[in-house]
Amino acid sequence: MTKRNQMKIPTSIFALMSFLACTLVLAFPAPAASQTQNVCIQCHGSLEGRLGKPVQQWQGSIHEQDGVTCNECHGGDPKDAVNAMSPARGFIGVPEEKDIPGICGRCHIGVNRDYLASAHGKALGKGGPSCVTCHGNHAINRASLALINERSCSRCHSYERAGELKDAMVKTETLITTMEDKIDTIRKGGTDTEPLEKALFSARNQFHTLFHDVDVKKVQNESARINRDLGKIDASLEAILKKLHERRIAGAIAVGSALLAALILYLLRKTYEKN
Amino acid sequence: MKISKKTYDWLETRLGIEELIGKSLKGYLLPRNINFWYSMGSILLFIFALQGITGILLLIYYVPDAEKAFNSVKAIMNEIPFGWFIRTCHVIGASSMVFFLLLHMLSVLFMGSYKSPRELNWLSGFMLFTLVLAISLTGYLLPWSQLSFWATTVATNSVGTIPLIGDFLLEFLRGGKLVGPPTLGRFFALHVAVLPVTIAVFVMIHLFLVKRIGISTPPFGLDDTKNRWDDGKFRYEDHPGGIPFFPHYLLQDLTSIALYLAIFVFFVFFTPSLFFPADAFIPADSLRTPAHIKPEWYFLANYQALKLFPNEFIGIIVQALAMTFIAFLPFLDRGKEKHPLKRPVFTACAIGGILIFLALTIWGHYS
Amino acid sequence: MHGHDRRKFLGLCLGGITFTLMGAAIYPVFKFLAPLQTRKSAGKVEIRQQDLAEGEAKFIEFGGEPAVVVNSGEHGLIALSAVCTHLGCIVQWQRDKRRFLCPCHAGLYTESGEVISGPPPKQLPKLPLSVNNGIITVG
Repeated sequence: MTKRNQMKIPTSIFALMSFLACTLVLAFPAPAASQTQNVCIQCHGSLEGRLGKPVQQWQGSIHEQDGVTCNECHGGDPKDAVNAMSPARGFIGVPEEKDIPGICGRCHIGVNRDYLASAHGKALGKGGPSCVTCHGNHAINRASLALINERSCSRCHSYERAGELKDAMVKTETLITTMEDKIDTIRKGGTDTEPLEKALFSARNQFHTLFHDVDVKKVQNESARINRDLGKIDASLEAILKKLHERRIAGAIAVGSALLAALILYLLRKTYEKN
Repeated sequence: MKISKKTYDWLETRLGIEELIGKSLKGYLLPRNINFWYSMGSILLFIFALQGITGILLLIYYVPDAEKAFNSVKAIMNEIPFGWFIRTCHVIGASSMVFFLLLHMLSVLFMGSYKSPRELNWLSGFMLFTLVLAISLTGYLLPWSQLSFWATTVATNSVGTIPLIGDFLLEFLRGGKLVGPPTLGRFFALHVAVLPVTIAVFVMIHLFLVKRIGISTPPFGLDDTKNRWDDGKFRYEDHPGGIPFFPHYLLQDLTSIALYLAIFVFFVFFTPSLFFPADAFIPADSLRTPAHIKPEWYFLANYQALKLFPNEFIGIIVQALAMTFIAFLPFLDRGKEKHPLKRPVFTACAIGGILIFLALTIWGHYS
Repeated sequence: MHGHDRRKFLGLCLGGITFTLMGAAIYPVFKFLAPLQTRKSAGKVEIRQQDLAEGEAKFIEFGGEPAVVVNSGEHGLIALSAVCTHLGCIVQWQRDKRRFLCPCHAGLYTESGEVISGPPPKQLPKLPLSVNNGIITVG
């Protein structure tokens, strides 16, 4: 028996509209505009070619993520369009190669110290590498062992000694990245991993700074100490992971019990249905 | 005489328990073709009770001060024994509440239970829906994380687009021009006191209305699925020869609750990270907007729909109109037919609407 | 009657499960509400006052984490956590400038731990310190 629906046509169109916004109570506008009003980015970002490229390269870099903007290295005033590139405001333009370690070293102090004392640092200005030779200038990414590779290092000398150094560092580096993954997993579930993250960052920084000496013996000696520190952090991580595993087992029992209860209730109901 | 029998008799002479049980439980009859969708309401009651309990437990350690809120929640998650469990239950419970509310609403829509004489039931239910969304929104701010802070900023921004009084309303809502400590104060009062009490009151109204007019007959498994009520006198819809609520349908309610518990507990123990984006663990920084702020899943469709309108205010008006339409649906849809397949226009529009909502939600998630 | 027996049995099972689940739920709530045991004071660290000249800083381990005791002269003896509040590197003492420098991103702190410049968001947390008979006790 199919009687025609008696709803009027205009009402049905309304019904369509209703579900168009069916559960819309509180409205949500587009996200708030970014708060950085950086004139360097505003101007150079709209330029084509050589002058615009650094902005693109910088976007997505670790410096962008951490709020390190143009003026931190090049000087100048990022808030004043008129005086943005004025030497009076500290603007230095494109730095000379020999000045680069000093600029990076304003923040990356430990690394700079080790670099200047190393063979690489002593060769600065005489064909040796500056910071940007290996790390890039604008598209700088989080440091990893991948920066030590055949293509990069053989630009100046044979890869052999670089390869030796990399081999000496691989074990510790792998330990560090594995622990970073563990911390990531743990953090997502709600556990506070800040103290462990900090301890790991400190160890990682000490380890990466080591490389800049480009001294295999030194790396090997220091690695033992760093590995010990890492071991302590890893022990804490393993303890947390164990605790989380125990929680999951408790969870499985709870889910099983609830399902069992549901089954019993269902069967109980069935016994009444015979009536 | 056993002590339990003595106690029972003592209470019986003062409360008339036999009559109560006889009328409200064993004597309360439900339609024979009732289905499990009718137990969504009791699942919601259960969730609400759990939210209340976990909420009160959290109140013991949570500090509603902008300087201390984040750390108090961090302490609950890391230092207080089982604090992580109580908090996770509360967070996941909030999303479940909205989800099951949507299921409840949809089942009522498809089975035509909103039609005369149950317009007031639908209206009180709609109020509850609005209140639940409001309590979810206010609760979101309390942990004072980057997620809380910025999602609230974005959510309350829309109020400011109302012409003439928009700015005043916005400042009133936030307790200032921007989201800040005053906002936390008022949202906390709303979330912990005003809204739970209001919801409880409306739940009681809703239940009273449901019981007063009687349970609607589902349209499935019957030949005649028309709404037989006529606009005359008050008539309680009884179901002679029907299923007693006690113990039959109570057992169904309990089965549904147990199943819900199984699913809920699964999410709490195995996938809590689904409900905690990374920004939920970073303390609020009023000077740093995170890259991708998105509202919680139940607001994603709103969010996406608003982005489609060139003018924010128009976007809000359209949504407000849509909500008003839904609220007054029983007054607009006077058709007598209840079976979804026998009223194809309504069903097509409803399914269309659901698909659009889902599409907007998914789009909002990936954009 | 068969039905009654089954009902009773199921009722019993249900009762058992409900009881267990209730217990499983009440235990966490009880522990949640129980007053927290005050953490036992982490091993105190002692150093001799004469080992710490004015303008010197001594790095120790306190509560499993690096810490430092400074003899600042004007501000007296101060014990601080040596973990930089930025990303966690260990700060270094610059004796000539009477300040702490973090080698990772050049965060600078005064001798009492307040941030002078750089990325650190907060000052270095202070640790409890007391002096008795020429012995400095941290903790």
